[in-house]
Amino acid sequence: MKVSVVIAILIAGLLGPWTFSGWSMGSRVPVVGTLAEDFHLVDLNGKPQSLGEYKGQIVLLNFWATWCKPCTTEMPAMQRTYDRLREKGFVVLAVNELEDDAKVREHIKQYGHTFPVLMDRDNTVANQFGVYGLPVSVFIDEQGVVQEYIKGGLLTEQKIYDVVGRIQKLEPATAASLN
Amino acid sequence: MLRRMNEWKKSIVTTILGCSVSVMCVSSQALASCGAVSCFITIGSQQQVPMAGLLTVNGIYSYTPMRLLPGTNGVIPGIDTPQRQLILDHHQEARTITQMATLDLNYGITERWGLQITIPYMWRTHHHIDGLGEDGPNGEGQSTTFSSDGLGDMRVGLKYNLLPSLRSMVVLGFGVYLPTGVTNANDSTGTLMEPTTQLGRGQVGLNPTIYQTYELIPHRLNQFAFASYRHTFRNNVGYQFGDQWDFNGGFNLVTVPWFVLTAQVNYRYMVHDNFSSSLLRSATPADAPDFPGEPVVIDPNIENRAVPTTGSTFLAFTPGFQISLDGMINSAWTKMTSAYFYSQIPVVRDSNNSLAQGTSFIFGVTRSFQLLNLS
Repeated sequence: MKVSVVIAILIAGLLGPWTFSGWSMGSRVPVVGTLAEDFHLVDLNGKPQSLGEYKGQIVLLNFWATWCKPCTTEMPAMQRTYDRLREKGFVVLAVNELEDDAKVREHIKQYGHTFPVLMDRDNTVANQFGVYGLPVSVFIDEQGVVQEYIKGGLLTEQKIYDVVGRIQKLEPATAASLN
Repeated sequence: MLRRMNEWKKSIVTTILGCSVSVMCVSSQALASCGAVSCFITIGSQQQVPMAGLLTVNGIYSYTPMRLLPGTNGVIPGIDTPQRQLILDHHQEARTITQMATLDLNYGITERWGLQITIPYMWRTHHHIDGLGEDGPNGEGQSTTFSSDGLGDMRVGLKYNLLPSLRSMVVLGFGVYLPTGVTNANDSTGTLMEPTTQLGRGQVGLNPTIYQTYELIPHRLNQFAFASYRHTFRNNVGYQFGDQWDFNGGFNLVTVPWFVLTAQVNYRYMVHDNFSSSLLRSATPADAPDFPGEPVVIDPNIENRAVPTTGSTFLAFTPGFQISLDGMINSAWTKMTSAYFYSQIPVVRDSNNSLAQGTSFIFGVTRSFQLLNLS
């Protein structure tokens, strides 16, 4: 068999499953100012949840995993802002990627996180939002429009307040003023 | 590619190729024989596209010995580039040892595009019997050694992360080998060494690649595959290295967060080299009384001629491991730093009566630096 034919078969074999199976194809990052695509996931308590349920609130959609050190480092800041702003129409949805419930539950319990944790077991929602590295944080306003897309880095309380304040068109609050 | 192999070798390679679908890729250089090859192993941090603004640096050392296979005698043609002569049965190969220190720089221009520069520095020693039929009282030739060190051919490449997701990646690459390597080193007799033993190829080479990886068990077990093709243009002494195909495939197993076991299969196929030359043969006892004596002219015309005993087929198994220093020691010095070790073990070799690669070793360190925050 000619070498060129062998090469073509091997390349088709390389690309074929990944291209057509839908296992892993990453989509493009959502454009700021466009509507965030709805999704349906199950949370750690087994309850089905969707992004659409949170319309009317500002959503911090955070993609994370327990093995991702920057992810777990920024979660306390997310928890503190969730505690302070949840009565003002703000919610954190922490979307866990590709891990089993027991490991995630242990981590959440250990660190005392109370925001909803959704399980993206087959990577579908991550692909929907163009996520191929962790952490990624997406801020979505009350109308469901993407307002900010943050890849990597560390979220701080001040950063979250600044973005939420901009979305709500409020004066930016400082972390110190909340003490 | 299979027609030069024995039947039992055919069946082994066919089976492996049929099962593999995706095999791995190699980033190291390889040269034809009078010979010198270097390890060709997939190192993930070299093949991926780093995040935007992230520079990944690999410092790699490899040791590659080449010896004769049992049942071969190592008698190969001599390549006389100044005279443009291809002299059949003129050398008898003994061994080559190549050591290479490579600096590989891999930079994420954007989230999808990456730039890669590979800079090799080589040390090569070679031993053969030169002048069969010509030198020595009985035409037994003259023992000749060669030793050289210096820059090899650099490679510059662009990579595109075609289908990125948390679980998989397909990276298309296109590289260009630049003729920066030394091509004028002499042997122990002061004679210019042949192109296949020089540190550089003396001409530009084109190198498209494809790399694929998929997390079978996320953050625990992944598979990877690589394919590479290299074409080198004819250099200004009339020598053209043969086309080269590399296929690699393997698995990484995360045992504990800081220790990864890896295993891969490497396949390399190299087409015959080609030399624009006249054709001669070494004198034999049948040429008495002109034996020992000057080589005998077969065809004085300068034509493009395939160099017999170049070209090869090589299949190897390469186990290794990687240690994340970041995971072991909490220090600014170990941030985003790993060390790795591989041993490439030949399984099937066909080198057309020339030297064949033996068990080789690679040791490397990789470290990433966030130069710009472009997210």
